[in-house]
Amino acid sequence: SKAVSPHALCSFVFLSSWLHQTVPCRGSHWQTSLLAFRASLPVRAQPKKKKKVDVKREQAQKDRMKKKIKKLEKAAPELIPIEDFIPPLKYSDSSRVRSLPPLSFEESERRVLLLKKWCLFKQKQDKAEKQAIQTLVEAQQEALKELRLESEELYQAAIRRDEGLFPFERDGPNYTPPLPGYDPPEGKCVDITKVYTQ
Amino acid sequence: IELEKSHYSDHEIRKLEEEEQLRRRKESMHDDDDAPGKTVIMAQDLEDKWEQKLLRFEAAPRITDADKNNDRTSLNRKLDSNLMLLVKQKIGNEELWLLPQVEWQPGETLRSTAERAMATFLGDHIQAKILGNAPHGIYKYKFPRAIRTEDNVGAKVFFFKAFLQSSDLSQAELKEDYLWVTKGELGDYLKSEYLKKVNRFLLD
Repeated sequence: SKAVSPHALCSFVFLSSWLHQTVPCRGSHWQTSLLAFRASLPVRAQPKKKKKVDVKREQAQKDRMKKKIKKLEKAAPELIPIEDFIPPLKYSDSSRVRSLPPLSFEESERRVLLLKKWCLFKQKQDKAEKQAIQTLVEAQQEALKELRLESEELYQAAIRRDEGLFPFERDGPNYTPPLPGYDPPEGKCVDITKVYTQ
Repeated sequence: IELEKSHYSDHEIRKLEEEEQLRRRKESMHDDDDAPGKTVIMAQDLEDKWEQKLLRFEAAPRITDADKNNDRTSLNRKLDSNLMLLVKQKIGNEELWLLPQVEWQPGETLRSTAERAMATFLGDHIQAKILGNAPHGIYKYKFPRAIRTEDNVGAKVFFFKAFLQSSDLSQAELKEDYLWVTKGELGDYLKSEYLKKVNRFLLD
């Protein structure tokens, strides 16, 4: 309706010039009242202009957007920051540092010896585990050999992969058995992890 | 080591600040304009409350009643090690303690035989997971001369391992004697040859 206004203004001026001289007569036959000029003026040429210009404008806009998208895609994707590796700034305050007495000689000696004992214990444990696994595998191989001697068909059936085995789930070991009739306190868990998109 | 490699946490800073405030108030006899507003609950009070709660909590004991009575038929004993099912079965003329076994029918795979064995000894609706299609161990023995025929010189027993999922065996109807034993106690019941072969594929 912006384009309509110059025409409306012209006609108004025309009408006012008329009004000075003669009785106020309805000038143009398509005007019902002096106040309703905007609604009834014919707007012939405007729709066509609107179509052409808008189509051109829209196409130009689309091309610009496509160019921007191409530029963004060419740039390398930003690395997603790992929140666990960046300590939050509030913890690097110096007021938070503890002041403790330095370690005594006996204490450090005790720690070193403890570490050595632990290393030895873990080594033995690991060796025992590996040995156990080895015997397990050997026993199974022997069983399969004997089975093959018995019947080829059963052997083939035994060798086949068991689909229902994985994913294998089992509850982990607890230090104490579950209390019978224990009612855990209720609560709601709200997940506030931040999700980054590249 | 925990104290050495860490900084103060929020809770600890709050505790320190409150201690400071208390000390200042005692020394200079401040007006009590801070007290009712901010520190209604002190960090020290919270810690005391938590400790009280811990003392009141009683965990279930690790050594159950079945352990004290040495009742080997219940599943509630020896909670820190694995238990195996032993059944007394009649083989030939003797009654022996064995891992439950069932004769293989031609036309079924070994795994289905194992499942059938479980169904016969533990009831139909048992949730147990058999680990894989292949057998884990084998024991072969020859029949005594009286029973030997042309074809059947001896028998081979294949062993499978399975994990029991549910510990609810109330529906199980075990007719003969049965025992749940750990690996060390197996030696009390099984014969030496059998025991040797079985021990190879059982982990404690």
